[in-house]
Amino acid sequence: MELSNNSSKGKVIASGIIPFAFVVLMMVYLFGPGADLLDLGVPLPEITIEKVDFVDSEIQATVRNTGPISVEVVMADVNDRIQPAAVEPDRFLERYETALVRIPFEWNTAEPYTIGITIEDGTRFEKEIEAAAPALELSLDLAIFFAIIGTYVGIIPVMIGLLWLPFIKKISKQKYHFFLALTAGLLLFLAFDSIEEAIDVSDESLAGSFNGTLLVATVVVLSFLGLYYSGDKLVKKADSSKLAKPVAIALMISIGIGLHNFGEGLAIGAAVGLGSIAFSTFLIVGFALHNTTEGIAIAAPMSRGKLMLGKLAAMGMIAGTPAIFGAWIGGFVYSPFTSVIFLAIGSGAIFQVIIVIMKWIRDEGDKNLSSISVVSGFAVGMLVMYLTSILV
Amino acid sequence: MILLISLVVGLSMILIFPTISEAQSEQKTFVTHSGSVIQTTGEVIDPLYVESTLEFDPMSYLRDFDYGRTSTLPDGTTLREYTIVAEDDKVMEISPGVFYNVWTFNGSVPGPTIRATEGDTVRINFINNGSKQHTIHFHGIHPAEMDGVFEPVGADGGKFTYEFIAGPVGVHPYHCHIMPLEEHIAHGLYGVFIVDPKDGRPAADEMVMILNGFDTDFDTENNFYAANTIPFYYQHHPIQIKSNELIRIYVVNMLEFDPINNFHLHGNLYQYYPTGTDVIPSFYTDMITLSQTERGIMEFKYNYPGKYLFHAHKVEFSEKGWVGIFLVKDNPEKNSPESEYGT
Repeated sequence: MELSNNSSKGKVIASGIIPFAFVVLMMVYLFGPGADLLDLGVPLPEITIEKVDFVDSEIQATVRNTGPISVEVVMADVNDRIQPAAVEPDRFLERYETALVRIPFEWNTAEPYTIGITIEDGTRFEKEIEAAAPALELSLDLAIFFAIIGTYVGIIPVMIGLLWLPFIKKISKQKYHFFLALTAGLLLFLAFDSIEEAIDVSDESLAGSFNGTLLVATVVVLSFLGLYYSGDKLVKKADSSKLAKPVAIALMISIGIGLHNFGEGLAIGAAVGLGSIAFSTFLIVGFALHNTTEGIAIAAPMSRGKLMLGKLAAMGMIAGTPAIFGAWIGGFVYSPFTSVIFLAIGSGAIFQVIIVIMKWIRDEGDKNLSSISVVSGFAVGMLVMYLTSILV
Repeated sequence: MILLISLVVGLSMILIFPTISEAQSEQKTFVTHSGSVIQTTGEVIDPLYVESTLEFDPMSYLRDFDYGRTSTLPDGTTLREYTIVAEDDKVMEISPGVFYNVWTFNGSVPGPTIRATEGDTVRINFINNGSKQHTIHFHGIHPAEMDGVFEPVGADGGKFTYEFIAGPVGVHPYHCHIMPLEEHIAHGLYGVFIVDPKDGRPAADEMVMILNGFDTDFDTENNFYAANTIPFYYQHHPIQIKSNELIRIYVVNMLEFDPINNFHLHGNLYQYYPTGTDVIPSFYTDMITLSQTERGIMEFKYNYPGKYLFHAHKVEFSEKGWVGIFLVKDNPEKNSPESEYGT
C-alpha cells in the first residue's frame, strides 16, 4: 500500500517535471543547434534618454540601452548641433545598461532644448526638454522647502479633512453609508488618477521595452493582492475586539492614501525639479483642496468607534507625511522607473481599500450595495474629486 | 506608522545612495572648444577635435588631380583614359565612431577628381562591382548615349565606356544617375570633373572642395556636413597655404536634402567664377550661395599670415562639421603687400 502510494507520488512529481524538462530542451535547442532557424531580420539598436539635468554650464543626459543589442555612444548634440561630451562610465552600453553623457554647454534658463545622442551606426535619438531649469542640488534649504510643500499638500489637508469626524459621527446610518460610499468614490478617483499618471510617465520617459502599461497593470495587481492578503489578516486580528475594526479599516485607508500621496509628492518634487511648475502656489492650493477629501475618507470609518484623537492624528500623519518623502525623492533623485512603480503601488493599495470599505458597508448595512445613499455617495465622491482636480 | 516611515526612508536611501556612492576613480580633464573644463572619470567623445582612424584622407584628396593615362589620337587630340569602379558595400568611419555604408567610385567618397583640357577626348572605362545598377552621369556637353541615364550598368561586374570631348571649360560634378537618385547620390557616388582652358589658368595653389553631407539615420536630413567628406577635418588639420600666393579652389556643392549650401571665407574676399565657364570673375565676395550641384572657382590671396576660418554661414552646417581653417604661412619670396584684387 505504502509502496504504491510512494510510486504514485513519484508519478505526480514526474508528471510535473516532464513538461518543464521539455521547455528546457526546447530552449537549449533554440539557443544551440536550432539558432539558425530563428536568425531572421535585423535587430535594431535603441537607446532611451531617460533624464536630462541642467547643471552649472553643463547638460547631463542619462542614457539607457533599451534595444536588443549592445550599442556604443559616439556623439552628443544640443539642438541638433554637434557638441563634445564625456560619457561615464564608458561609451559601451550592454542591454539595459545606463551611461551619463555630460555635455559642457552654456544653457539658458527656461529655454527649450533638444538633446540628441548618436550611436555607432549613425542613428540619432533625442529627447525634448520644454524648459531648462537648474537641477536641484541636495541642500538643507531645499529639503525644508520640500518638507513645507509636502506638509501643505499632504498633512494639513488630511488633518483638516479629519475635522469632519464629529459631523459624520452625529448623522444617521443612511447618511453615514453615504459618506462611506463617498470615501470609496474619492479613492476610486485617486486610483485612476495614479494609473493615468504612471502611464503618462512611462510613455514619456520609459523605453518601449519596459512595456510601460503592462508594467503598471502588473504592479497594480501585485500591490492590490499583497495588501488584500495582509489587510485581511489585520482585520481578522481586529475582530477579537469589536472596537478595533473601524480602526483597522481606517488604518488601511490611511496607508493606501499615504502611498498615493507619496506618488503625488514624487510628481510635485519632479515638477519642481524639471522646472515645469509655473503656478506653484496655485498648484499647491489645488492639491491641498483636493487632498482635504482624503481626510474624510479616514474619518468616515473612525466615526463609529470611540473618539481616539491620538490614533486619528497618527493616521493623518500616515496618510500625509509620505508626500514629504515623495517630494524629496522626486526633487532630488527622480527616476521615471521608480515613479511608475510607486504610482502603481499606490493605486493597487487604493483598490484594496475600496474593496474593504465596500465590504464594510455591506456588513454594516443591510447587505445592500445598491441603496440610494451608497450609489449617490459613490457618484458624488467621483464628481467632487473630478471638480477639485480641475484646480490642479 | 513607524514601520511605514522606516520603509519610506529605507526606499529613499536605496534611491539616493547609488548616486552618492559612485566612487570617483580615475579623473580625466577635458577642455572643450569653448574653453570650458570638465573633469570626467569616463570617456571623452569629441568629434570636433578627436581624430578618427580614417581610410579616406581629405588632405591628399584636396590637391589630388587625376589627369588619366594620356595618349595622342591619330588626329592629334589628346586621349585621357580613366578606369572608375563603383562599389556599394563599403562601411566607412565618417566621423569618430560613426560607421556608415558608403557607395563609392574608386573606393572613396568623393570619387577621383578627373581633370582634362578643353577639347581632349575623355574615355572612362566604368566597371560596376556593386550589388545594384550604377552609372556615371557627367555634367557638361556630350552625346545623349554618353549621359549615363538610360544606360544602366548591371551589378557585379557590368561595364560601360563613356567617351566624349571635354567641355565646356569649368568645374563640373559627375554622379550616378540610377533611381532612386537621391539615395545613390547621398550614399556618396559623386566626384569632380575639371575642364581646363586650352591656355591654362594662372599658376596657383589649387584645391578641390566638394561640399557634402551624410544622412546616417535615413530621416532625409543630414546628420553630418563637411568639405570633403570628413566633418571638422580641416579644423583639426588646417590647410597650409602661403601668404601672397594665389589660391584657387574648385568648389562643388553635392549636398542632398538641404536646398542650399554656402561658403564663407574669413579675413578675405575671393574672386568668384560661377561654374568656372568664364575667365572673368562675376563677383568679389566672401560669401556665395550654392544650390544642388552648383559650383564654381574661387581665387584669393592672403596678405597676412595666421589662422583663418572658412565655413558654411548656414551655421547649422558648420556646427555639424562643414568648417575648416586655412593656416597662412608667411611667404618671404612674394612679400609684396599689394594685391591684384580689390585695390
